[in-house]
Amino acid sequence: MSPSQQPTSTNPSSLKNQFAHRFIRALKTLNHTKTGAAHDHNQMYRRSIRVKIASYTAMASVVGSRRAWSRAVLWKIIKRSRNQGLLLRKRKRRNPNPKREDFNPFRNSGQELKLRKLVPGAETMDSWCLMGETADYIKCLVAQVEVMKTLVDLYSIT
Amino acid sequence: MEKDGFFNTPQPWNSMFGMELESQVSEMNCSPEQLPNCFLSRNWDHSMDQSDPFESALSSIVSSPVNSHSGVPTPAGENVVLKELIGRLGSICNSGEISNSTNTSCYNTPLNSPPKLNLSIMDHPIPGSLPIPRNHQLPPAPFPADPGFVERAARFSCFGMNESEFPHMVESGKLSRVSSKQCFKTAELSNPIPASDKKFSRELDNSMEESSLSEQIPIGETGIKGQNSNSNGRKRKAIPKGKGKETQFSTVSAIDNKTIGEPEKEESDAKRSKSGEEENGMEKEKEKEKVKEEGNQNQNQNQKQTKEAAKLPEPPKDYIHVRARRGQATDSHSLAERVRREKISERMKFLQDLVPGCNKVTGKAVMLDEIINYVQSLQRQVEFLSMKLATINPRTDMNMEALLLKDTRASMLNTMNHLDAPAQPFYGLVHARPENPLTSMMHHGSNMKSSQTHGFGEASAFWENDLQSVVQMGFSQNQGPIFHGIMGTGQMKVEL
Repeated sequence: MSPSQQPTSTNPSSLKNQFAHRFIRALKTLNHTKTGAAHDHNQMYRRSIRVKIASYTAMASVVGSRRAWSRAVLWKIIKRSRNQGLLLRKRKRRNPNPKREDFNPFRNSGQELKLRKLVPGAETMDSWCLMGETADYIKCLVAQVEVMKTLVDLYSIT
Repeated sequence: MEKDGFFNTPQPWNSMFGMELESQVSEMNCSPEQLPNCFLSRNWDHSMDQSDPFESALSSIVSSPVNSHSGVPTPAGENVVLKELIGRLGSICNSGEISNSTNTSCYNTPLNSPPKLNLSIMDHPIPGSLPIPRNHQLPPAPFPADPGFVERAARFSCFGMNESEFPHMVESGKLSRVSSKQCFKTAELSNPIPASDKKFSRELDNSMEESSLSEQIPIGETGIKGQNSNSNGRKRKAIPKGKGKETQFSTVSAIDNKTIGEPEKEESDAKRSKSGEEENGMEKEKEKEKVKEEGNQNQNQNQKQTKEAAKLPEPPKDYIHVRARRGQATDSHSLAERVRREKISERMKFLQDLVPGCNKVTGKAVMLDEIINYVQSLQRQVEFLSMKLATINPRTDMNMEALLLKDTRASMLNTMNHLDAPAQPFYGLVHARPENPLTSMMHHGSNMKSSQTHGFGEASAFWENDLQSVVQMGFSQNQGPIFHGIMGTGQMKVEL
């Protein structure tokens, strides 16, 4: 996939392209490995989870290391694959350079906390970075959802 | 003797005022000479940081002698005593100022009244203290720089006095702040330069003239400068809002609304006015939106925005030049906090654009709620779609690859007409390889008729047709198996 290796500007179309590429590749892999086991509910559930993970991973890999949330997602995946069967422990990385204004009493309460839980890797960020990461995360999520919708539509046209 | 009575009453407090009152009362009753000198000297020696007990003590003293004194039997005696006292204070201060410009008093406040002053003071005002009453006009000497003293006196004047009486009392000495307003005004007004004091009071009388405040600044600010940090700390939430006005004027008008002020008020006012002045001289580097002012202790951590005020000059900052707002603390903590808050709000605005339907929403909390909901909904959508994808097909991803790999822009457009899905992904997908040699072929494919039941089927048919040629054109290797897969696919409607 040479052309897609170029550093993506956060151009949504290029984002979608690259995401679509990787996601479809992952789906293909999934399909190859799990052929014929899709009728059982349990299997279906697990497959759907795998698809979900594949989609997040694909998006995170497209974004790469540029964003904290993508790094966190990839890290989680790696950890998960390492810890297969073991208890998954969330690794919280301490913010190495907590800014002075970080002594925010509202930081871990209420809505910001909710947001931090939603956005991967946002637990130890300061508020300003949190906002930036949220914005990027939303953008990527939107692209992800669009591609997946299109894929579903395409697949369902049979 | 009432002297003893006086001594007994102000227990916490030995300040000169107690003595003053005592002496004054005693003067009323007996010869002036006996008491004063020793007491006054002692009083003057005491530091004036007993202002608070002073107030309470004064009130108690005032009331007590009124009650206890036969010399002041009238119910209005209390007022009289107060007035006299204040007048005396004013006179004393004035005369003190006159006689001693350079003061080595032990008082903390600029109330400069060295011990040796006492004698002259006592001699001078004593005869005149009695007749002080309403319309006493002290010599128009510049008021000594004892704002604390004056304002305390002003405050006392409020104690049991009607407002109507106030102005008169205020007239005496430099307390001639106009009055129908509260004591606070006098307190704050007392701060400025003595020379312009009268003028200031007159102006204030009319309507809080802002310019006067600024005029007061020069010396006032120097005097205040050292106390900036203190005043920051003492700045209270009661500090008025400058409603939309970013000038010193707003603070002045806000002062109007204040009730009884305290020593720090004048400082903050002076600071505000000082800042206003400095602001005029300073170049603005960066305009920040208004941030509320808070107490110093809250500035580091407080996210709440309590008030708006006009601008204050900023302390030198290295990297980001921020203009402090008027009425706000100028320490680096508060400024940094303001910068941070503004950065965050900037990002919130950006997020508002991202999240649909957030244009009308204002406020951080509601915005955050919306953002959280949106992120949650997106995540749920991903989950749902992944479930759908998992159930739909095990095998049709092959054509997806084909779709991706082809630059069938035109056919994509055709298909996009029929598809409900957002057109962009396909369009984007098509764009992936602009340099693709297939492009020409794909364009060729656009001639195909677009009227089909399934646009997708058409596209797939088209692709199938061209697949062979694609393969022969040496398409990228990873597409090889895909073509096989595509060939093998029986899921697409092929319309040939």
